[in-house]
Amino acid sequence: MNLNPKSAKMLDYFASQMVKVSKPGIFWLAIATVFIIGGFYALIVQIVEGHIVTGMRDNVVWGIFIANFIFFIGISYAGALISGILHLLRVEWRTPIIRIAEIITVISTLIGPAYILLCMGRLDRLHHLALFGRIQSPIIWDVMAITTYLIGSIIFLYLASIRDLAALRDYPFKSKWRNKIYTILAIGFNGTPKQNRYLDRSLDIMSAIIIPLAILVHSVLAWIFGMTLRPGWHSTIFAPYFVVAAVFSGTGVLIIALWIFRKYYKLESYITKIHFNYLGIILMILGALYAYFTFSEYLTSWYGSETWEMEVLYKLFNPNEYWWWFFFAAIIGVVLPIIVILIPKFRNINSITAVSVIAVLALWVKRYLIIIPTLEAPLLPLQDMRPEYIHYTPTIIEWLLTFAGVALFCVLFFLFSKFMPILPVVKADEGNYAELRKTVLKRIVKEKMKETEIKESEKMKDL
Amino acid sequence: MKNLCKHILILGLIILFGMGNVFAQKAKKKTTRVGVAYFKSDTKIETLVATLRVKEKRYIPLNDAVLTFYSVSDTLKVLLAKIRTDENGQAIFALANNSKIAKDSTGLMAFVVEYEGNSLLKDAKRKITVKQAGLEVSFFQKDTIKFIEIEAKTADPNTQAAPINNLKIKLYIKGTFSLLNFANEKTDKNGIVRVEFPIDMPGDTLGVLTIVAKIEEDDVYGTVESRGEINWGIPVPLVKEKQRGLGDTDAPLWMVYTLITLLSAVWFHYLYVIFMIIKIKLAKL
Amino acid sequence: MEKGKNKQSRRKFISKTVPAALGAIGGVGLVAQSCNTTEEEEKVSLLTPDGQLVEVNKSSMQPVSPAEARKGIPGKQFVMVIDLSRCKNARKCVTKCQKMHDLPPEDEWIKVFLMQDSSDTAPYWFPKPCFHCNQPPCVKVCPVGATYKRTDGLVLVDNERCIGCKFCMTACPYSSRVFQWKEPKETNFADREYSPETSTPHKVGTVGKCDFCPDMIRQGKLPDCVSGCPNGVIFFGNKKEDIVSNGTESFRFSELIHDRAGYHFMAELGTEPNVYYLPPVDRLFDYEKGFNNLTDEQVEFYKKSIVKKH
Repeated sequence: MNLNPKSAKMLDYFASQMVKVSKPGIFWLAIATVFIIGGFYALIVQIVEGHIVTGMRDNVVWGIFIANFIFFIGISYAGALISGILHLLRVEWRTPIIRIAEIITVISTLIGPAYILLCMGRLDRLHHLALFGRIQSPIIWDVMAITTYLIGSIIFLYLASIRDLAALRDYPFKSKWRNKIYTILAIGFNGTPKQNRYLDRSLDIMSAIIIPLAILVHSVLAWIFGMTLRPGWHSTIFAPYFVVAAVFSGTGVLIIALWIFRKYYKLESYITKIHFNYLGIILMILGALYAYFTFSEYLTSWYGSETWEMEVLYKLFNPNEYWWWFFFAAIIGVVLPIIVILIPKFRNINSITAVSVIAVLALWVKRYLIIIPTLEAPLLPLQDMRPEYIHYTPTIIEWLLTFAGVALFCVLFFLFSKFMPILPVVKADEGNYAELRKTVLKRIVKEKMKETEIKESEKMKDL
Repeated sequence: MKNLCKHILILGLIILFGMGNVFAQKAKKKTTRVGVAYFKSDTKIETLVATLRVKEKRYIPLNDAVLTFYSVSDTLKVLLAKIRTDENGQAIFALANNSKIAKDSTGLMAFVVEYEGNSLLKDAKRKITVKQAGLEVSFFQKDTIKFIEIEAKTADPNTQAAPINNLKIKLYIKGTFSLLNFANEKTDKNGIVRVEFPIDMPGDTLGVLTIVAKIEEDDVYGTVESRGEINWGIPVPLVKEKQRGLGDTDAPLWMVYTLITLLSAVWFHYLYVIFMIIKIKLAKL
Repeated sequence: MEKGKNKQSRRKFISKTVPAALGAIGGVGLVAQSCNTTEEEEKVSLLTPDGQLVEVNKSSMQPVSPAEARKGIPGKQFVMVIDLSRCKNARKCVTKCQKMHDLPPEDEWIKVFLMQDSSDTAPYWFPKPCFHCNQPPCVKVCPVGATYKRTDGLVLVDNERCIGCKFCMTACPYSSRVFQWKEPKETNFADREYSPETSTPHKVGTVGKCDFCPDMIRQGKLPDCVSGCPNGVIFFGNKKEDIVSNGTESFRFSELIHDRAGYHFMAELGTEPNVYYLPPVDRLFDYEKGFNNLTDEQVEFYKKSIVKKH
């Protein structure tokens, strides 16, 4: 069992990429930092002034914070479901996308719940959840499910990274702190048959358990809305609807991330058109499924024409209210990806990525449209003279925090790519690290010798 | 000539309006009104409740004003108390067998409540005469029918109690916030009223009901009240307190079991995987 | 002749003042002479709503602690009956409630809606407090038990436990809940000790709502919206006694509901409210009377929002 020279070459490439930041990288990092600072400012304003600085009022008590929350938990599906299923099915082409998917999961599961916290009136009483928690409340289900899911995702990501961490441990970085961290994290993994067996078993278990868990997390999220007696929310298909929407958006974000890293790290030879095509087809199928759920949901409530359901539908189909947003979110954002991916002539890396962007944006808008119109249509008439109590408009504070979340997502992703190779380097069936160490050391010795040779020749010239 | 007429007219008008203003100045002193009512409670506490009102658009209570209570007879006017009105414009004076209160030979008491007025408010006063009366509530059963009996008597401590006939008695059941009227009768020549007991009323856990008999706003006797308790109502049991449900403190058991099963299933796998990681660490070369 | 006139005016006076006197003599406005102290515990004499002078421990008049406020008053089940045929949008219930609970004018715990069930039916004014449901959706979803159902039927909020997640606000189908979006303005009750029974002083970032004035109830007094209503629209009482009162009139609850066809608003939601409505038949006022105190802008707004067009 020898180390694949291809892996060694790849490790070498990533290791050199990891220790430097390119100029466009710095540029984008700076922009993201500005957004994060903006979000930080908004956060302080909100804490000092109270929730009055948001657009939320007594009828629309949940605004874009909750939309962002569902959105981020949604895209976390990329890692959980896609990498879980692909791993279990031993799909051949999964290797280059699996790490990216898992990172998306962990980062978005970290950022998503932050929006719930932003929506809470008394953050200082967060510990009351532990002190007085009632398990009848879907919020408690959510707290438990998301915590479990986050921990599971981290374990999954860690397990899938052990081989690479071991390889990195043995790679001679210039700065010693990296090697120290890698040594701790690699927990002495050396690719012995026993260790490989343990690791593979753990990976199988985690990928199997993460799938039902992910479904449960998003179902619970849907039930927060489904358990209330509100038109547009109180629907039995809400849980599967949310799950499908989540995987749909997760796949979209995965495609976008693949495209960006492919460009930035020049991974054209690893991430190929095949990956985009396969993921595109998954996206298309999920899109069709999502369209089916959407159609079923709105057809049912329209056909029944219950007063309150009609109230919400009226808002969604009224050109002066949400029609154009609904048109984009439920029709353009679904039909366009399906058409572009379905017709082979349109199908290429850039077009698939472009429709993914549209699908992801559409899904964000859809989350907005799930929350706001329903809250703007209470069962009793909205007889309030204050316009902000009738119609919700997100304030600058809410937008700043939203963009800060997206920026934070990108920055964390970027930082992670500086800590670990963005693609798995060491394959499961290899891992003779002694061998790897030897080849690397040989190369380094060669380089050093070359350097000294050059220096000496220069000295000779000077003389 | 025509011009002169016009001037005189204008002058007249000015004078008229000017006078009007002067009258208006005088009329600005607002009218006040004092009202007095006599109450005798079940605990035999006698009070005079005086209310002071001032006329704005309508009469509204005036608070923090001093009302003076006098006991009056044909010849005397004795000061009893000076009491400030509360935020409802009320001042309450408890009689409490005050020796200063004068009575005539028939046991009639007369009181005057006065408000002095000030630069903005007119003065006002009200006289009230009261004879002391007492009510006695008792219950009895004849065959299967249950009755309430009320006896009305004069209650002047200085004279013998005499039955009061032809007196309107109102009967109530006591509620938490109010009294529910169920019968109004006049006393017979012995001063007695008999009424059938309302047996379909829910009582407390033992079926106890409080019956309130009242002489209300009588010209002679004022308001007099007396109470009696009896367990002839329908007993209402207390609801069981501890329950398990969505709205209760404790969750339904199936929910607890499902949650524990799900969580432990997942966390068992986590722990197993962590155990594996430890094994990997131990298995290093 | 003279006597007769006198008699009449006195009657009139009593009938006007007595309800006020009975309902309103509280611990605060007591006369000095009716207070007395004993060695064990300080006692205060009170005139009860039904005219009884009683002595109570002064401590029982203090707002109860949050723990005590979870228990409920034994043997009670509070109900409200709102007679829609008497309401003309005088809005006294709203303002009295705001005064009682130290609310700013824009926060309404009891709201008066102008309702019209469909375009051909008659509009009517609809005062709506919290329904204190027996199956309260808000209590079900509260993650920390900050809002809870008591044995006496009340649904209260403990603002010292509430985490401000607002889930109860979305769960309540009757829009009964109000959020404290900012630090409350200057208040008269700032030095008061907080109790879920008084709901004051308000806490920023938590949820408030109509509480049926349990502090008043404990003193045997009707909630302020009930006693404040000039038209006697709102009846309140203990369902277990089967008596409801609006301060001047008392009825048997079961008879009132039976004879006047009392109903639950949106009974189909299965929330089992403790607030009943009497339909707006044989009305005392034309509904347009309710526009009298409003600005043209408000009238216009009401008329526009009354029936939803589809």
